[in-house]
Amino acid sequence: MIGRKPVPESPIADITLLLEGTYPFVRGGVSSWVHQIITGLPQYRFSLVFMGGDRNHYDKQQYELPDNVVHLECHYLMDNLADAKPKPSKGKRTAFDTQRKLHDQFRSNESVPAGVLSQALRDLGRKAGISKEDFLYSQESWQMIDESYRQYCTEPSFVDYFWTIRIMHAPLFRIAEIARNIPATRTVHAISTGYAGLLGAMLNDIRGVPFILTEHGIYTKERKIDLSQAEWIRDVSDKVSTNLNDQLGYIRQLWIRFFESLGRLAYQQADPIISLYLGNQQRQLVDGADPARTHIVPNGIDPQRFEGALAARPKDVPMVMGLVGRVVPIKDIKTFIRAMRSVYEVVPNVEGWIVGPEEEDPAYVTECRELVSSLGLENCVKFLGFQNVNDILPQLGLMVLTSISEALPLVILEAQATGLPCLATDVGACRELIEGGTDEDKKLGCSGAIVPIADPEATAREAIRLLLDEPLWTQASAVGLRRVKRYYTLDAMFDSYRTIYDTAISTGYRED
Amino acid sequence: MAGIGFELRRILKRDNLSSLIGAYGLASIISSGPWVLSVLGVMLIGIVSLSLSVRDIEIIQFLVSVTYLMAISLTLSGLFQHVFTRWVADRLYEKRNDLILPNLMGVLWLSTLLALAGGLPAILFLLPDTSVLYKLLMLANFVVLCNVWPVTIFLSGMKSYGLIVALFAVSYTTAIIASLLLARFGLEGLLGGLLLGHGLLLFSFLFTIIRQYPSDNPVGFDFTRRSQIFPALIATGLLFNAAVWADKFIFWFHPDTSQHVIGTLRASAIYDLSIFLAYLAIIPGMAVFLVRMETDFSEAYDRFYSAVREGDTLARINGFRDEMVRVARSGIYEICKVQSFTLIILFIWGDELLSAIGISTLYLPMFYIDLVSVSMQLILLAIQNVLFYLDSRHINVSLCVIFFSSNLIFTLVTIELGASFYGYGYAGATFLSSVIGLALLSRKFDLLEYETFMLQGR
Repeated sequence: MIGRKPVPESPIADITLLLEGTYPFVRGGVSSWVHQIITGLPQYRFSLVFMGGDRNHYDKQQYELPDNVVHLECHYLMDNLADAKPKPSKGKRTAFDTQRKLHDQFRSNESVPAGVLSQALRDLGRKAGISKEDFLYSQESWQMIDESYRQYCTEPSFVDYFWTIRIMHAPLFRIAEIARNIPATRTVHAISTGYAGLLGAMLNDIRGVPFILTEHGIYTKERKIDLSQAEWIRDVSDKVSTNLNDQLGYIRQLWIRFFESLGRLAYQQADPIISLYLGNQQRQLVDGADPARTHIVPNGIDPQRFEGALAARPKDVPMVMGLVGRVVPIKDIKTFIRAMRSVYEVVPNVEGWIVGPEEEDPAYVTECRELVSSLGLENCVKFLGFQNVNDILPQLGLMVLTSISEALPLVILEAQATGLPCLATDVGACRELIEGGTDEDKKLGCSGAIVPIADPEATAREAIRLLLDEPLWTQASAVGLRRVKRYYTLDAMFDSYRTIYDTAISTGYRED
Repeated sequence: MAGIGFELRRILKRDNLSSLIGAYGLASIISSGPWVLSVLGVMLIGIVSLSLSVRDIEIIQFLVSVTYLMAISLTLSGLFQHVFTRWVADRLYEKRNDLILPNLMGVLWLSTLLALAGGLPAILFLLPDTSVLYKLLMLANFVVLCNVWPVTIFLSGMKSYGLIVALFAVSYTTAIIASLLLARFGLEGLLGGLLLGHGLLLFSFLFTIIRQYPSDNPVGFDFTRRSQIFPALIATGLLFNAAVWADKFIFWFHPDTSQHVIGTLRASAIYDLSIFLAYLAIIPGMAVFLVRMETDFSEAYDRFYSAVREGDTLARINGFRDEMVRVARSGIYEICKVQSFTLIILFIWGDELLSAIGISTLYLPMFYIDLVSVSMQLILLAIQNVLFYLDSRHINVSLCVIFFSSNLIFTLVTIELGASFYGYGYAGATFLSSVIGLALLSRKFDLLEYETFMLQGR
């Protein structure tokens, strides 16, 4: 790694965002966040590198790009695996030996020696290393697939293994090509690990660009969930095995390990490694991130936007529990409905409002409505559909979130900004948002209560306590307001990223 | 020849001596190649007409004319031989049976056009001092033969072997009888009889094929689409046939070894007789080759590729590869064994054999070396067949180039060396090509899994 030359052309962008399957083609939490960052930090010039799988899944751009976006390029990793006619070749022994070392490290779950990693990344897609043709057609490549199958594959079908390896690795050559060709930039910021993270790692290694990594969810974990359910993988699993890993076929595990390895490579090269909250930071550490490089930058909201709603809050606590979210199984609406039944026993004038779009899973909506009538709660539980939160929040006495999975739910921040106590399950950042994350934060107190997932009784108990104990309610309301204003504002988020960007840019091209 | 495998396996399953003889008998008739049978038929016409009032010179003119017709028409149909067989196999695999017949008609049209384009100038300029009737009969025979060869490709898709053998027998009997009846008209009469026989063969085959492959279109040229054909196969077919005839043509036209016969056609009395006779000696080897290829090898091949496609373990895939190698090897060994045995017998009785059919025993040394060459050519054919199975089109083209050029060079050298070396040129060429073929085949098998997986779609 000596003699790395600075990129000769002058950078067209301050920050290149590496976006895998999100902004600006897909709507959602991460995309809004990206849009916020770009619009909130107009002093930087952004360049966007979008990576998708299948070209057909991303037809329309969902966001109008702000003026400070100077460049957008899109790449589709599932495009033409092989565009040329196969041509036999020998392949470079040394380059494949480097790959063997790299894969041995992956298998042993250890971090890869910098020299090996750097060599492996540089070899990728180069004639002197392993070109895509070498990977697809060379004898050395065949040799390595043959060896690995014999040594490690526990499933019989060689042809499945063979194609898995091919399909799995083919996008890497595309990424190597992107890394060599994207316009010069002062720093690169990946919004996930996976392919985007690998691109970041390559840019960092090959072109010496400082690499920032932000993870909203945990990519590897999400892939793991996807892959364990993916129907395109043929299973030869044996149904009597007891633990999940035994039941997952080798091919599934291969895919999972592949994404884990990509994640580890990104962690190895990125600095800083940012997560939204403590829980995710801990996962990153478990997955191999260096503790010295991990940071937390939570999402934020603009408290001013909710000042009106805060002022509109009535003097008495409204006996209304609200669940703001899509009516889908992951939000576990049924637990909310069951909890309402128990609360209704104690507080007969209570109401439960389910506020959120119902288009996504009509079958589940029907089940929820049937549950409401079977529990005799027709007059108590209402489905309001999608509503403006600013109108709804002042009318609620308690925000309830029964989700079985969350990251950092904005509804809790929004509720707290309008002085509304929250009751949430112990998932994602909920505990940090309600009880406080750091010691200093915890001193502020609780802005509500945390209950286990899928526990209607505990949910009802805490809801009754918060609704009926007025001093407790008032205190929770004040704590929430203080916490969100101190730790979870957009300005705080922008400040953090401004510092991160400035530091990275001033570090410039590393000479290591 | 996919269909024959079933038939042979069915016969062999009965597992007794007569079924074994039956299988090999069938295989020898099917495999000896229509042209060996044709040579037999034509020779018969020649031999029988000797006893009639036909002049010797006319019989020689007849035999030489027919030899030229065969040589040139076979080489010309070599253009279609492999490429069209492959095209048909691919369409049958796609279950596009409706495309087969129109395209066969397309091939026949193209073949006829090529035959006319080559044949018309040839009869106008290359056959001076011959009768108009002779010229026309030559052209007609040539066009018919150019159609007969592509049609015989369709033997492959057919299961009615009995019918096919019967049609061959009937047609050549017709040819022989007609020739003899017309023998009083001399050369033209013999050619006319042959035309009748080949015409009958062509149309009776066509009749059988048209019944088997129904279609709505009269004619199609899908087989000329670049995306559906492999040019290497065109080159292989053309070059192999050209290679087989290269030494003969050299002997026919080298002033030291040839005599003028008719028109500009020349022949080599010293060379031709023993080599054509020797070709009949490959019938036993051909039969063995066909039985082994179409039963054991094609089964081993199917097992290997099913294992690949249907997700077997690599160890088992390797095992099936080894099995395939073993079958190919033992098939080639068996051809060697059977041919050696045939050769020993012919070496022992060669003397008597030549005398019996009225050929000078001076030809004996050349007859011996010719027997060795044709046996080696059979081994080359077997190797090429295995390579076709493995879809190594480029190796096959290279082998044909080697065969063709070495035959050309070696033959010219042996002519310079003198009469005692005649025949060694061809022997050297078949030997060299077979040895290189074996080496390439062995390498191909070594890389089989690599190429099967890594280079698919090549």
